[in-house]
Amino acid sequence: MNPITPIINGMAITLKHMFMKPVTLQYPTERPKVAARFRGLHALNMYHDKAKCVACYLCPTVCPAKCITVEAAEDANHDKYASVYEIDMLRCIFCGYCVEACPVDAVKMTETFELANYHRQDFIYSKERLLEKQ
Amino acid sequence: MVNLIIDDKQVTAPKTATIYEAAKLNGIDIPILCHDKKLKPFGACRMCLVEVEQMKGRQIPACTTPATEGMIIRTSTPDIVKARKMVLELLLLNHPLDCPVCDKSGDCDLQNLTYEYKVNSNRFTDEKFSHEIDYNNPLIERDMNRCVLCGKCARICDEIVSYGALTFIDRGIETKIGCEFDDGLNCEFCGSCIAVCPVGSLLARPFKHKARFWAMTKHPSVCGYCGTGCNLTLGVKDNKVLTTIYDENQGFHNGQLCVRGRFGYQFINSAKRLTTPLIKKNGKLTEATWDEALELVASRLKGGNAVAALATPRLTNEELALFKKLLVVNVGTKNFDHAAGYAHAALTEGFASSFGVSASSATILDIQKSNLLIVIKTDAYETHPVVGFEVNMAVKNLGTKLSIISDKRGKLSKLPDAKTLVHFPGSEIAVLNAIAKTILDEKLADGSAAAIAGFAELEKSLAGFSAETVAGLSGISAAEIKKLAGEYATADKALIIFPVGQAYAGHAADLASAAANLAILTGKYGKEGCGVLCLSEKNNSQGAVDMGFYPQDGGLNALQILDACTDGSVKTLLIAGENPLSSYPNHNKVKAALEAVDFLVVSELFMTETAAMADVVLPVCSFAEKEGTFTSTDRRVQYFKAAIRKNIKIKSDFELISDLISRLGGSAPLSPAAQFSEIAASTPGYEGLSHVSLRKEGAFAAVSMAPVFVVPQVAATIAAEAGKLALVTGSALYHSGTLSQYGEGPMHVCPENYIELSRTDASANKIVEGEVVTVSSASGSIKLKAKVTPRMPAGVVFSPYHFSDAPINTIWNGSPVTSVTVSK
Repeated sequence: MNPITPIINGMAITLKHMFMKPVTLQYPTERPKVAARFRGLHALNMYHDKAKCVACYLCPTVCPAKCITVEAAEDANHDKYASVYEIDMLRCIFCGYCVEACPVDAVKMTETFELANYHRQDFIYSKERLLEKQ
Repeated sequence: MVNLIIDDKQVTAPKTATIYEAAKLNGIDIPILCHDKKLKPFGACRMCLVEVEQMKGRQIPACTTPATEGMIIRTSTPDIVKARKMVLELLLLNHPLDCPVCDKSGDCDLQNLTYEYKVNSNRFTDEKFSHEIDYNNPLIERDMNRCVLCGKCARICDEIVSYGALTFIDRGIETKIGCEFDDGLNCEFCGSCIAVCPVGSLLARPFKHKARFWAMTKHPSVCGYCGTGCNLTLGVKDNKVLTTIYDENQGFHNGQLCVRGRFGYQFINSAKRLTTPLIKKNGKLTEATWDEALELVASRLKGGNAVAALATPRLTNEELALFKKLLVVNVGTKNFDHAAGYAHAALTEGFASSFGVSASSATILDIQKSNLLIVIKTDAYETHPVVGFEVNMAVKNLGTKLSIISDKRGKLSKLPDAKTLVHFPGSEIAVLNAIAKTILDEKLADGSAAAIAGFAELEKSLAGFSAETVAGLSGISAAEIKKLAGEYATADKALIIFPVGQAYAGHAADLASAAANLAILTGKYGKEGCGVLCLSEKNNSQGAVDMGFYPQDGGLNALQILDACTDGSVKTLLIAGENPLSSYPNHNKVKAALEAVDFLVVSELFMTETAAMADVVLPVCSFAEKEGTFTSTDRRVQYFKAAIRKNIKIKSDFELISDLISRLGGSAPLSPAAQFSEIAASTPGYEGLSHVSLRKEGAFAAVSMAPVFVVPQVAATIAAEAGKLALVTGSALYHSGTLSQYGEGPMHVCPENYIELSRTDASANKIVEGEVVTVSSASGSIKLKAKVTPRMPAGVVFSPYHFSDAPINTIWNGSPVTSVTVSK
C-alpha cells in the first residue's frame, strides 16, 4: 500500500470530525446540567440568621471518611450550637450520609463541584465558608 | 434460696430477691427505668411488668414483687410487649424529643428502650411541659420537661446522700421533681442524682455539650482525692478527660461518688499544668531541658543527711517505694516524710504501738455490718464523703446506732437518732479516756482484756478520768459519757471511726491509742463490724505508711526537716507534690525554711506557691496519666492504668526518680510492675499481690494485730483565752488537700476560704453572713468571709485549710485549738 494513504485516511476522519457536533461537554465554556440530587459541596442551612445545626454530632458519627469535625457550645440562651463545624474536602467521599443523618435538616449538598484549590489548607471548609454557599 | 422458673429456665435466687433481681442474677434482662441496685424498690415506671402464672395472667411489676418458691414467670409475652410499648408511648407523650441537643443521648434508658421496642409513633397527643429549666447552680442543670418521674434522684438523695434536696412536688399531671419552695437546687453537689437519672433531666454542667457518650472511651481508674479509694470511670475523648461516668457495678460503693470525685477532674487537663522543667537563673525560673535539670538535681543530692525529702501521699506506692530507695540507698539520708509528719502519726505511732501494725483494724465494709458507730468529729463526713454515705446507709437502712463525739455538729448529727456529744475543742482524748474508765469501773470490760500487756498501767493512768471530772473538762455531761460507755461495751459489734489529716493536728498518736484502748478493753477488734477505722486523708496515705515513707531510726520528721532547713543542716530539699506553704502549719516558719534552704527541688503538676520558690521545678503527671497502685484507708490495694497519654515533655515521678537513681550510679526497676513485685516481696500484708492480680479488682492487704494497752498522753484541754474564740481547722466537704483548687467543680461551689461561726458569736460581734472579717491570732491575721451556721457551738469557729489565696496557716501554727479574735 502507498505509505501516504493511511495518513490521508486518518486526516480525512479528523477533518470530518471538525465539522461534526462535539461528543464531549465543552467545559468550561459549556456548563453541565447538574441533576437536582447531585452530591456536591456541602452547605449549612440557615434559619433566620443562624445556622440550623444543633451540634448533635450525628454527622461526624456516621461519616465513613471521618472528615467532619464538630464542637458544640452553649450560647447565651443555653441553647446548643456548633462553635466549630469543619469538613475536610480532601477526605470527603461525598456519600451524603451526613445529610441523611441530620435530624434538623441543617446540612445539604449543593450543585457546586468545582473544588480545586492550590493549598491543602484551602480544602478544609470552616463553618463560615459552608454558610456562605447559601 | 427459692426456686422459680423464669422464661422456661429453672433458676434459684436468694429469699430477699425481687423478681427483677432474681432475673438479673440469672442473666435475664427485664427493661426498667426506676431501678438502681443501691436503692429500695419503688415501682414507678411500670416498664418491668411481667406475667406470673400463679397470678392468673395479671401483669405485675417485677421490681417490687418478691420472688417466691415455685413462681412461673414470663418476661416477654406479646401481651407484655404491648403493655410496655404503651408505657413508652405514654412516657413519650410529655417527653420532649430533643435528643439531638440532649447530652444524655446515647446513654439514655428511655431512648434505648424506645429503640428496642420500636416505638415509632404515638397514638396519643398532649402538650409538652414548659417547666423553667434550673440553671441556678454551676454544676447541676435540672430540666424537668424531660423528667419521667422515676424518683431515682429524690431517692438517692434521701437514702444514700441523706441530704433530701429533691422530692416530688405538686400533684397529678403537674407532679414534678423539685427543691424546697420550688426554688433552684442548692445542695452539696455530689451529683448522685445526675448519675442515676435515666433521662436527660439532670445533667452535669461542667460536661455540658462537651462530647457525645458514644464518642468517649471509658477508662476505669481510682479517685485521686481522699483515702476512701473510690473507683471512677473517666470519660476520655481526644486524650482529654471530659467527665466521670457512672457505673453502678464499680467498687464497694457501687459507683457512688462525692463532689470532688465527680466534678473535680478538670485539674488533669488544666491549661495551668507545668509542661517544661524550670531552673532558677538570676532569681527567675527559666525553661530548661530535662537533662540540664536532672543533672543539676543529681549533682546536689550529696551529703547524706544534708538531703531531705517531703512527698505527697498522692504518689503511687511504686513511686513512694522508689523514692525511698533513692533517698536511703543512693543518697544515704534518713530524713524524709509526708503529710506534715503528724497526719500519719495515728497509724505510724498510735496503731503501731496499740495494735502492732500501722493500719486500721477495720475496713469501710465493716460500717454496714456494725451495730454501733462512734464517730470522732463530724468532719469524717467532710473528709471522706463516700464513707459518710456508708454511715448514712447503715443508720437509715439497717438501724445502726450512731454516736458522735465532736467539737461541733455536722451533717452526721442530722441522721435519725444520731446522738452528738459536743465537747470543748481539744478534749476528745479525755472523753475517750473517761469512757474507758467507765467501762473499767462498771466491770464491762471483756474477759480477755486483763491479760493483755499494759492493762495495769492503763488502769492506773485512768484514775483521774472519771466521767464526772471529764464532764467538767469537756462540757459533755457525766451521764452521757456513762451511757455511751455502756452502749459501746454492751453492743454486739461496734466500730470507732475518726478522720486524720494535716488540718487535724489533734488527731494523732494519742487519739488513736485512746480509741484503740476502748476496742481492746471490750474485745471489739479483729471481728466483723468491729475495730477502729482511721480515715487517712489522701488517696495513698495508707500506702505511704505501708511503703515506710516516714522517718524511722532517728530520721527527721517533716516539721523537723523544715527546722533543719532554717538552721542550715539540711542543704537540699526535695519536695514531690507537697505544698507546705499552704498546707503545713505556720506559714511564716515554712516560708523562712524554704527561703533558707540552699537548694529546693519541687516536682509538681502546677506552679504552686511552693514551686515558685524552688531552684528547680520538674513537671510531672497526674494519676490519670500513669499506672500504679493506691492503697486506700482500709488497706485496699487498687491498680489503675493511664487513662490518657501524658504530654511528651513531662515525666511521671517514677521516671523522674529512676532517672535520678541511674545518674547517681544505681539501678532502678524498669517499670512500676517490677517495682510492685519488690514491694509485694518486702511489705507485710502485700504478699502475693501483683499488678496482674489487681487488674480486675483491688485486694485487701492483710492486717495482723498484736494488741497492747498504751497510755495516751492527754494534753491539758486547750481552752480559748478569755474573750477569744477557739479556732479549729479542718477540711471542707468540697475540697481535699490543696489539689482540688485546680478542679473547676469544687471551685465553683467553694471558691474561697471562709470562717464558720455560731449565731451567738456572730450576733455578739454584729457579723452577718458573707461579711469579710479579720481573724487574728498570736501569729498573724487574715481576712476571711464569715459564714454563720447553726452547727457551731458558741465560742468555737471553724476554717478549712485548702486555700492558697488566704491560707489558714498564717494564723494557725499546728495546735489543735488556736485562740483567735474575730473583728470587722
